[in-house]
Amino acid sequence: MSLLVKLGLFAGLVIVAALVALVWKATTGKAKKVTDGEHVDLAEIGAVKDGKPVTALSTRVTFLQFSTDFCTFCGPTARMFQTLERSDPSVTHLEVNVTNRLDLVKKFNILQTPTTLVLDQRGKILSRIGGAPKAHNLVTEIGNFDI
Amino acid sequence: MAKPSQIDPRGPRFGATITNVLSVIIFFEALDKSTESVAALLFGIAAVLFLIGSVFGTSKHPFGWLFRTFVKPRLAAPKELEDSRPPQFAQAVGLFVSVIGLVLFWADVPYGIAIAAAALFLASALQAYAGFCLGCQMYLGLRRLGVFKA
Repeated sequence: MSLLVKLGLFAGLVIVAALVALVWKATTGKAKKVTDGEHVDLAEIGAVKDGKPVTALSTRVTFLQFSTDFCTFCGPTARMFQTLERSDPSVTHLEVNVTNRLDLVKKFNILQTPTTLVLDQRGKILSRIGGAPKAHNLVTEIGNFDI
Repeated sequence: MAKPSQIDPRGPRFGATITNVLSVIIFFEALDKSTESVAALLFGIAAVLFLIGSVFGTSKHPFGWLFRTFVKPRLAAPKELEDSRPPQFAQAVGLFVSVIGLVLFWADVPYGIAIAAAALFLASALQAYAGFCLGCQMYLGLRRLGVFKA
């Protein structure tokens, strides 16, 4: 194989890597509206807060975060939500570890973690956020949630 | 439940940079029939390194040792620590990819090693230069496909 072809193949590889990185950076952590979202039963999915089971939703907006043990941004995302929760009492953050809950992964069609479902006060899914949301985006998002 | 060990997130990124350079060399060597065995040998070394990383964790990995000994002392303290399990899982995915590459080589599949090296290049480049752990991202997908069980 000539050097030119080899370099061409390698350049293609570099371009693919750069495209994947750009698409990931541009799409990760953005909220997508869910129309006709179903209601989430917190008891059924085993949501926890500070290690204790929770069944109560927030009076306004609940962020239900799905995490696994093999997820780089789950910890930082949970800490970010907890900071938000402290500054805004109408916000609740709950976490579900789905490392071994394939039933939930399939039910909610989770392809990556963290995936966060935004729930209204009755548990209806309003939005879903794939990947780690940025704190400043989230603050604007909360204002946009039609609650 | 014991708190999982926390590591400096720059450690795995440093290791991924070396892996990335290695994957480029393997890729070029694998494109010629005359140097394909060199590529296979290097891929074998990569597989052993991934085995160490996936069994003992990235901090016990030789690149982790390099990072702690020569790089970390020159850096400021990390802003945030990271769970050690995701990069360890990614090492297992790396091992899986290198084993596939070697099997393709033994089975005499044309450009088998080059294809596996390309996958390794993608994953290590994303980790090293964008902080995106492709192997970790694949966890749920692989579980859903039933590739492995917990």
